[in-house]
Amino acid sequence: MGELTITPGSACQGCGAALAARLAFKALGSNVIRHGIPCCPDSTTKTPRFSTVFEGGGAQLTGTSRGLKAIGREDVMAVGFYGDGGTYDIGFQGLSAAAERNENIMVITKDNEAYMNTGNQRSGATPKYARTSTNPVGPRSRGKPRPKKNIPFIFAAHYVPYVGTASVGFPEDLISKVNYMKTIKGFRMLIIQSPCPVGWRYDPAKTIEIARASVQSGIWPLYEIMDGKTFKLNYKPKELKPVTEYLTPQARFRHMTEEEVADIQETATASWENLLKADEMGRLII
Amino acid sequence: MVGNKAAATAVKLAKVQVASAFPITPQTTITQYLSEMYAAGEWDFDFVNVEGELTSQVVVQAASRTGARTFTCTSGPGLLYMHHPMQTTGSSRLPVVMAVVHRGYKGMQPDHSDLMSQQWTGWGHQYVEHAQEILDSVLMAYKVAEDPRIRIPIAVGYDGYVLSYTAEPVEIPAQEEVDKWLPPNKAMPSVLPDEVDPSTFARGWGGGDPQMPWKVHHEAILKIEEVLKETMDSFEKTFGRRYGNGMIEEYMMEDAEVAILAMGTIAGTCKAAVDRMRKEGKKVGLIKLRSYIPFPVKDFREWAKKLDGIAVVDRSICPGKGGPVFAKLRDSLFDQEEKPKTLQFHAGLGGKEVRVHDFEMIGDKILKAAKGGKVEQVTWV
Repeated sequence: MGELTITPGSACQGCGAALAARLAFKALGSNVIRHGIPCCPDSTTKTPRFSTVFEGGGAQLTGTSRGLKAIGREDVMAVGFYGDGGTYDIGFQGLSAAAERNENIMVITKDNEAYMNTGNQRSGATPKYARTSTNPVGPRSRGKPRPKKNIPFIFAAHYVPYVGTASVGFPEDLISKVNYMKTIKGFRMLIIQSPCPVGWRYDPAKTIEIARASVQSGIWPLYEIMDGKTFKLNYKPKELKPVTEYLTPQARFRHMTEEEVADIQETATASWENLLKADEMGRLII
Repeated sequence: MVGNKAAATAVKLAKVQVASAFPITPQTTITQYLSEMYAAGEWDFDFVNVEGELTSQVVVQAASRTGARTFTCTSGPGLLYMHHPMQTTGSSRLPVVMAVVHRGYKGMQPDHSDLMSQQWTGWGHQYVEHAQEILDSVLMAYKVAEDPRIRIPIAVGYDGYVLSYTAEPVEIPAQEEVDKWLPPNKAMPSVLPDEVDPSTFARGWGGGDPQMPWKVHHEAILKIEEVLKETMDSFEKTFGRRYGNGMIEEYMMEDAEVAILAMGTIAGTCKAAVDRMRKEGKKVGLIKLRSYIPFPVKDFREWAKKLDGIAVVDRSICPGKGGPVFAKLRDSLFDQEEKPKTLQFHAGLGGKEVRVHDFEMIGDKILKAAKGGKVEQVTWV
């Protein structure tokens, strides 16, 4: 596997998304057209690149995939490397429609849980209680009032061939998922949790530590869902770490009370138990 | 054949490879015809039924980047929804062809406010009069858009209902002749990983004159004039039909003292009015405007030397500003030494019927103004 990203990019120190790009494109190889929409950081790869309007991520992959088919080059992979804004929010409609049509495309989302490109404004991917520049903490606000959208399950409910979650803290898992996606056709999506030191407000040296704590505490479980039914949990520690290992190093959660931390702990534990059950059955009931 | 069928037939004759559209009245039946053509598998054609117009525009944009020949179509509000990605298609110089089946914004009946509102998106804009002209113009649009000197997307506009759902006789050119006249699209450099120029991998961040892309884009669109005129000549040579010089089409203009400038279906109504006025000895002619962008500045400057008056009939209005064609015509003639009297007429907005006697009234007014008579500058027909 050769390095396909061009360095230095425009990423900050400790950028999780830059690492996500490096790992994903390394695994993808060079027979790729990379598709971008406005997002951060502006990764560059040694591949052709297309870009379009923010909301057009699903549509441009569709157009490329159909165009490649028309010119007899279906071997070339149409890959979108988008942010959480372009996936969860402004780009959601077009991606949902592309999933429903089961376009032969690959969507890789580096999820840094806010609009980091414009300075940490909340997105549909921002977790509950996180402080962002549009969820300041004050007498009327405890950070973001509602949880993050469950986007992997939402896309799985389109009955697409593949939806997976990954983390920059678990590179082997990430790479093996990209490798698997290369072997199948149809709509494939990988959501990579990509810590952002600037927005999450932690020491840039701790990106991997935080990414790992997220997975190990059940906040960001690693799993894959095939055809909207087959479910596999890829990382199952005997015991989950407490969510405080994930929350405490990040200043975006620093204002949280004990009750609020307990709320997150309860949600993470309950959801983990559900995932264990699904894993045991090997399927999701959607 | 109805107008929408003529558009779909042109898509088939052009052997479009990827089309995408979202149904909206009065464009809807094009999506149905294209779906039927896809289902029948008559040629190597892919039709993407999407969830909205924004997506259809982006689908053809990306497919066009791969080098495929593409088509989309919409009407009124659907075109507004496409506004954002139309800018990208224009700026990326992609030879997409789009049929715009006119529908106004104040009600569903046709006027030209939909396509007129997209004039900053960097496309070529054409307006046509009848079903045969739809078919021929869509074919010619590919020839022009894919010309290596141009590489600009082109919108072909025609009035909803009056053309989209009204049957007229249409001559369909032979496929072999179209194949010969319109070879496969070779406009775009390859974007394939094994063929692409590696210098395009990284995104350029500034460094050059930031104004330059606008200048280059503007000048490429201006070049459409020359290529459209050439294309009209070669189209006539092959298929035996022509529409003026491509930019404008003149009717009874040889000895005209005044002209009425009209676009789209009402230009046909105007022809009937010109016939009547001619019988009464009034030297009135019609200049049908086919290309609004680029605007036939040269042609109008030539006509300005010969005419005493031009009545401009705008089927759209920029509220608070006025008719776009009137403004552009006067702008073209402002610094000419010889210039005719010009009058502005607002007609056919919101689908309001424009009748033959309305055009006779317009003709009488411009004749009177040309002879120095006192006539109000702006008339709502």
